[in-house]
Parts: sequence; structure tokens; C-alpha cells
Amino acid sequence: MKHPLLKLEPLIWLLFGQGILLGTVLLTPWVLVVGLAIPLGIVPADALSYERATLLASHIVGRLVLLGLIVLPLWKGAHHMRHTFIDFGGAERDAWVAPLLYLLATVGSVLAVVAVIRI
Amino acid sequence: MSDGQQKKTFVITRFDPDRDDAPRKQAYEIPVHPDWKVLDALNFIKDEIDATLSHRWSCRMAVCGSCGMMVDGEPRLTCKEALSQYGDTVDVAPLANFPVVRDLVIEADGFMEKLTHVKPWIIRAKELAVEEGPMRQSPAELEEFKQFSMCINCMLCYSACPVVANEPEFIGPAAIALGHRYSLDSRDEGAADRNEIFRGEGTVFSCSFANECSEVCPKHVDPAAAVNQAKLNAVIDWATSLVLPRGGDK
Repeated sequence: MKHPLLKLEPLIWLLFGQGILLGTVLLTPWVLVVGLAIPLGIVPADALSYERATLLASHIVGRLVLLGLIVLPLWKGAHHMRHTFIDFGGAERDAWVAPLLYLLATVGSVLAVVAVIRI
Repeated sequence: MSDGQQKKTFVITRFDPDRDDAPRKQAYEIPVHPDWKVLDALNFIKDEIDATLSHRWSCRMAVCGSCGMMVDGEPRLTCKEALSQYGDTVDVAPLANFPVVRDLVIEADGFMEKLTHVKPWIIRAKELAVEEGPMRQSPAELEEFKQFSMCINCMLCYSACPVVANEPEFIGPAAIALGHRYSLDSRDEGAADRNEIFRGEGTVFSCSFANECSEVCPKHVDPAAAVNQAKLNAVIDWATSLVLPRGGDK
């Protein structure tokens, strides 16, 4: 398992890096709007009403943004968890921990693609 | 040494492979001068109190890179650290993450092998003939890699790196920075070779970007930046190799 994983390492790192970027750039304002601005009444609640949100999400750009928002942080999380695991002394178990985490990220990514297509 | 001078206690990790099973601590209380560096205190102990103490040093001006030690638990060049910034008791130990030869002297062979692994020299497809003149380089081209060429191989970054601590085979910050330095050199044509090395096991992608290497680097090389630039280059090289299976310019 180590060899194919090694070959994919650049791709995984790229997804991880983009995950951090998106997590910072998009998820933070998302949490600010949905978690703070709307409850505090700064942004009117119907700004993200079901109809508006569906319209936004079903546009091709909306779908791509949603896909990026779900998939990339998944890979970021998997990669971070793998390295945290190694940092806590799990280096010799990396041979099965890494494929397991990346498999979870892959499954999540596939589900996200299906979900985004079906919006 | 005049009377009434300030005194400090140095708790030094000692290890004699012929006599000791494990490293032990030995304390020395000595008079210190306000202007001393940590190294001056070690030399005082060696010269005046205990000639059996072993430590490496040479230039006294943070260039030779041989006096790196753990001072109060942090990897430091002992010739560069003013003693005045430490308390009354100073703990001195050999650099972490290295095998110890004796006392404060570490074994650097593994590090030297890692350095050669990244091909730290200018690689040319074809050498320029002498009559073709020198290879010119503009100040801007020099600036591209200059920072990464300031490394003095003091190995502090290996001591600070949490990945090295976990995976001793990790090629490490200084070696990657050195390889990256040559890949950035306008005279060099070996970037593809090094990208292939950097895509191997235990190299750039083992780095978890803790940034500790850059924190302790006494020459401000910023090896963490080099490692992460090398990661990006390795990704670009990988993506290019999908489109151009022989790696483009190779």
C-alpha cells in the first residue's frame, strides 16, 4: 500500500493545501454569515431562504463552490489526521491508517459529487 | 576572575560510551563574565575545571556551524547566544534527534549522507567549454536562491523538527533547502532529477509544516519555506509527468 500512496502523495498534498485555503477563505465567512450574522439579524434571514439557497446551489458556479467546500476540507482533514497520528507516535501504523483516512475522504468526495449533481 | 563576580550553574549532559550506560547530568558552578556567550562558559569549564568535557566548536562567529547544542531545551548555536539572557542555572545537552558520540558531541554522519542525497551541486546536461566564458547570473537570479544558500549545516533544524524526531530517516529541512537552492539556480539543469528525489519516501511530503526549523535557524535560511516550495515544485512535476510522461525537459 505504501508505494501507490507515495505516488499519489503530490495529489493528496495539493488537495490538502487547497482544503486549508478554502477552509480559511470560504468556510470562515460561511460560519460568520450563517452562525452569527443571520441569528444577530445583521443579514436578513430570508437571504438564505430555501428557494434562494436552492437557486444559488443549483447554478453551475454554486455547484462547483459547494463541491470545493465539501471535498477539499475532507482531504485536508484526512491529511491532518494522518500527520497528527504520526506525530503522536503512530508512524509504524501509517501503512494502514493513511489508506483508511484517504479512503474515507474518497468516499466522502464521491458522495459529495452525487449530492451536488442531484441538487 | 575577580571576587564578587556573578556565578551561574551549568547542568551539562555527560556521556562516556566506555563508562556510562546512559547519559547523566553534571553540574558546574562557575564565575561568568557579563559579555560571555554560552560557549565561553563551556570553554571555561573545559579549560579550568574539567578537561574531560567534550564539545565541538571552532569559529566563534556563527559561521562554522559546529557548536550547536540544546541550551535550556532549545537548539542553539552556543557561540551566538548571550549568556546574560539565561537564568542562574543553564542546562546544556547535545543536539536532540542525533546519536551522541560523547558528552555534547553528536554523530553527524547520517546528516552528511542526507545532504549528498539531494545532489547539492550544479547539474548541467552539457558542461560549458572554457572558451564559451563564464555562466553569467544577474543579481535578480542570485536573489532567487541566495537565502537558501546561507545554511551553515549547524543541524539545529534537525534537532527542532518534530518529523525528524518521529522518523529519523526523514531527509530533513537543511538537505531539502540545499537541494531546492540548486534547483532555483539559473545555471542548474537538475531540477527534474531533484523533483524525482523529492517525490520519494521520507522527503518533502513527510514534512507537516510545523515551521520549527525556520524558528531555530540562526542564519534565517527559512528552510520551511524551501520545503514547501519544493513540495509545490514536486506537485507541478508530478502533474507535468502525467501529461508529458518523460517529465518534459528531461
